[in-house]
Amino acid sequence: MADELILLSIGLPWLGALLVWLLGDRKAKFQHGIAVLFAVASAVTACLLLPNVGTSTVVSFPMETTFGEFNFVADGLGVFLAVIATVVGSLAVIFSVDYMKGAAQLGRYYAMVLFFIGAMVGLVLTSNILLMFVFWEITALCSYALISFYNDDPKAVSGGMKALIITQFGGLGLMLGALVLFAYTGSFDINVFLANPSVLPSNILGVMAFGFLIAAAAKSAQFPFQTWLPDAMEAPSPISALIHAATMVNAGVYLLARFFPAFEGVPGWRISVMVVGMLSALMAAVMALVATDLKRVLAYSTVSQLGYMVYAVGAGGVFASQFHLMSHSIFKALLFLAAGAVIHSVGTRDMRQMGGLGKKLPFVRIVFVIGALALAGIPIFNGFWSKELILEVGMHGNPIWLYVIMLIVAGLTALYTFRCVWLVFYGEERSELHVHPVGIFSKIALAPLAIGAVTTWLLAGPFSNLLAESLPTHSIHELSLMEMIREVIGTPATYIALAVVTLGLMTWVVREQISGVVKNLRFLETAAVQSFGFEAINRGIVAGVQKIAEGLRGSQTGLLNWNVFGIVAGLILVLAALLIGA
Amino acid sequence: MEAASALLWLLAFPFIAAPVVYIGGRLVVRESEKSEKPLLNPAGWLALLALLGAGAFLYIIGKDIFSVGQIIFATVGNIRLRFDGISLLMSILVLALGILVTIYSFAYMKGEEHEEKFYALLVLMIGSIIGLSCAIDLFNLWVWFEAMAITTILLVAFYRNQPGSLEAGVKYLVQSAAGSVLVVLGIVLVFFQTGSLDLESIRMAVTQPSLLLVIAGGLMVIGFGVKIALVPMHTWLPDAHSQAPSGISAMLSGVVIEAGLIALLRAFGALAVGSDRWGYILIGFAVLNMVVGNLMALRQREVKRMLAFSSLSHVGYMLLGFGVMIAFYNPYAGMGGFYHLITHGLMKGLAFLAAGALLYVLHVGKGDHHPLTVDDLNGASRKYPLTAFTLSVALLALGGLPPLAGFMSKWQIFASSVMTQNGWVIALVIFAALNSVLSLGYYAPLVNRLYRRETSPIVETGKPVSIWMSIPMVVLTLLIVVLGVAPNLIYWLTGPSAISIFMFFGN
Amino acid sequence: MNLSIPVIVMAAVIGLVGIGFYCLLVTRNMIRVVVALQIIVKGAMLALLLAGRMRGQLALGQSMALTVIVADTIVAVLGLALAVQVKRRLGSLDLNDLSSLKR
Repeated sequence: MADELILLSIGLPWLGALLVWLLGDRKAKFQHGIAVLFAVASAVTACLLLPNVGTSTVVSFPMETTFGEFNFVADGLGVFLAVIATVVGSLAVIFSVDYMKGAAQLGRYYAMVLFFIGAMVGLVLTSNILLMFVFWEITALCSYALISFYNDDPKAVSGGMKALIITQFGGLGLMLGALVLFAYTGSFDINVFLANPSVLPSNILGVMAFGFLIAAAAKSAQFPFQTWLPDAMEAPSPISALIHAATMVNAGVYLLARFFPAFEGVPGWRISVMVVGMLSALMAAVMALVATDLKRVLAYSTVSQLGYMVYAVGAGGVFASQFHLMSHSIFKALLFLAAGAVIHSVGTRDMRQMGGLGKKLPFVRIVFVIGALALAGIPIFNGFWSKELILEVGMHGNPIWLYVIMLIVAGLTALYTFRCVWLVFYGEERSELHVHPVGIFSKIALAPLAIGAVTTWLLAGPFSNLLAESLPTHSIHELSLMEMIREVIGTPATYIALAVVTLGLMTWVVREQISGVVKNLRFLETAAVQSFGFEAINRGIVAGVQKIAEGLRGSQTGLLNWNVFGIVAGLILVLAALLIGA
Repeated sequence: MEAASALLWLLAFPFIAAPVVYIGGRLVVRESEKSEKPLLNPAGWLALLALLGAGAFLYIIGKDIFSVGQIIFATVGNIRLRFDGISLLMSILVLALGILVTIYSFAYMKGEEHEEKFYALLVLMIGSIIGLSCAIDLFNLWVWFEAMAITTILLVAFYRNQPGSLEAGVKYLVQSAAGSVLVVLGIVLVFFQTGSLDLESIRMAVTQPSLLLVIAGGLMVIGFGVKIALVPMHTWLPDAHSQAPSGISAMLSGVVIEAGLIALLRAFGALAVGSDRWGYILIGFAVLNMVVGNLMALRQREVKRMLAFSSLSHVGYMLLGFGVMIAFYNPYAGMGGFYHLITHGLMKGLAFLAAGALLYVLHVGKGDHHPLTVDDLNGASRKYPLTAFTLSVALLALGGLPPLAGFMSKWQIFASSVMTQNGWVIALVIFAALNSVLSLGYYAPLVNRLYRRETSPIVETGKPVSIWMSIPMVVLTLLIVVLGVAPNLIYWLTGPSAISIFMFFGN
Repeated sequence: MNLSIPVIVMAAVIGLVGIGFYCLLVTRNMIRVVVALQIIVKGAMLALLLAGRMRGQLALGQSMALTVIVADTIVAVLGLALAVQVKRRLGSLDLNDLSSLKR
């Protein structure tokens, strides 16, 4: 049963992608229909996997030699992420029916979205690390294609290229880890490795651990690779919600969480992971404070929240990180889709031109505010519970300075979230914007997410059970809902965090009074707009390579004498090398 | 029919068929000049028949190989020929690609002056590559090699009214002639030292390394290296590959440079005694080729030239595989090398065919010989969805994106290299993978251009793509996807090939 | 020093190949390029004959040299034919005029 379900949940979206592509762009109505149909079908199959969770291999294609066996396992962590990918995926596709209405090249759009959904499911369900890398790269490809979907716009093209190159670069870390694992054990199987990580020499294990950290940082837009995610916001909004908030960017966190038991003993690894998470969370929060583009604010906040998850893994809280991952997927997808609805209605992404939209878009305001409250970590919303769990993990047995910074970031989060909500929906109108009404499909997609943002924390019990039972090497202890509530309410960390969050909110309210302090922090703003210099480094590398390439082109002179000189020079060099080496 | 005689037929058939193709075409052209309405030039169909005929002989041999033994010998005079894994792989690759290119050229070369010459030369070239893959006598190897060079020179300079085509032909001729003399000199040294030319006898006769043989090997590296386009002997390649008719570009990039590589590997086999130095030489060139090829392609504006430069870097990956196999006695690396040889043939073949199709409908078919620039591709998908799609698949596969064939073959090379557990080799693999990322820097923007909304003015006035061009492109696209999803489908070819080189090395 | 025939021939081989490559490196004229190629090949042929003789397989050496002559002649003819076309199309045999394909 489980084997068919796994193959179906990967294959259905891919089949849909093929059909949508072949259908051609003249039959837009059918394209919408087929895309929704296949996306929902894959979500259903993925959900049917939930009762079939287990730790044994259920599908296997032996490939021999240097490819190992292409295995798939339906374990808790994987199925959970597959469900998120397909459910959020189908909601994003439903949302697209309105959002992409009348857009050109719909076939390419839906094909890539469906291709992505299938690949994401494959990524989390396979236990062959080579295959994981394959799906990893496919998601990067889809992400690239969708970021530069509006590819007449040079900004979209360069944003896509940047995302592709940076994630590919990081992918090398994953590739290297997979290769050394194979070289030293002769197998690509993740579960075999996790059961006995000591088969690798410790230095090789270190290479693998840090290689994976690089891969995860690039994929999840963590320090120092965070710069691609804000530029990826050129993508259509449903894509930002699906790929750049709810699913693909989680792959890095997933990777770290999956391999945590193997790497936790590597010296310096856990602290490095925590520092990476902390830096990303802090820097991105500061950048979100000053950004004026609605989607970029959300992008920065994604980086920041992913930083929390990475930090949690480093701190040993695999369950807390995955729980926050679930909350974040829901509320961030909600925020992005709502933002998409806003942008679609008013035709701009600049928050300085918005304001007072709440009256014109009441439904969107409600759902956006729900998402924002969850993001800010206000009690009873799902973001509150998961963030508190992370902070609690951070407080016990981990460096206290990291914990303090993460607390401050919680305050910053509340501040920028509040600022964003205020600028968009409240205050006076800052410009004459013509507002289109929000379509029915958008509402269908937004409503379940909004309900989810309020309720998913109730699933803590079954969720921990799911992870604990199917991940034997992770030593996750089961945690019922009541236990979680007691734990969160009973610890002082919660109240400290709430105090900081309130402080963050207050800062916005009294922003007029403390404007003097703010002025003194202007340098921070300038630095934040420049992404703290990381943009410059990126540009420098690209420009350098381009310059070298252009210079090298001079070596192709087109003169025959020069070409013959190449032969003679090659001969002399090779003979010299041979004679010295002989 | 017996396998040994089928082998002789396989070798002889293209050389018998080529004159028939030429004369048949010529006669009809004569006839058609006299008559009022032009007749269809049958040369293309004759060539296709010739290649299918050769394919039939190949099938007989192949059946025998898999039912009886791995190797078939045949003797002509006192020259021995051996049909082993490598021969099988090269014959299948060159015939398959050749057949597709012939079909493609039905449309591409239609109405071209001296069309029949084109097809005859194509058949000859394919015949000499098959011969090269079966030669195990050093001098015989050179003869096939030279035959291949001469036919390809003629094909590169096929548009003899075009200055660019002539220039490319001249450069190719001079450089490959200079290289082939170096090969002869290397053969002389081997002959002088061992008194023998048979690769197996040389391997047996030589019991310890000698200076002369090392120098001979060096000469052959450079001599064959010109054809393989090792940096810095590569300078002819971008010119030749971009100026030749597109079908020929596909053959040049897909099999001809690889045939040089096969020749070099055969020669190395004879000189393998007590040394892994040849492996290190190959690895050294691998580094040079990867980085130079990618950097030269990065800022290239002409599509076919860009593809040509990217061939340099792909040769680099193959060299890495073969180098690791020789230096570290790892047959998997050889399998990876051969796997990449096949996939590169398919990917680059497809890339040149698809780019060529666009070149044809946008330029050549309208009678102008301007090169296809990257700007011409803007929005091509709107008018040519199939061609644009196949070109995208080819480019993304070349860039090493899964689930396409280029990824899997690179993976096998990388994985088997890392199996050496040698720090330097692992560093090299990282370097190679970085190069792969760099290569996306020029492949991906091309794909982007294809799918733009705003079309370039030249696309608006483009002619339709013929069905004859589409068929080969679709076939190659399917192969690239299949080989990318199921790498085990190709072991029957790569495994025996790696073994037939590998058995020469080691102790 | 004893100037035996092999030594003289070997010197001739090295000399011819060296002169040929030098010529290829410096000449700007297409006809001279073809001539230079011929010079190099002649050196290689001498070397083949010498090796055949020293190994006591002169016949084999000669037959190989003959084959090389055939191949080399074809290349020379081709080169000259290309030169004719170049002269016709470009009006010049100067290699400098034949360097439009670059970068």
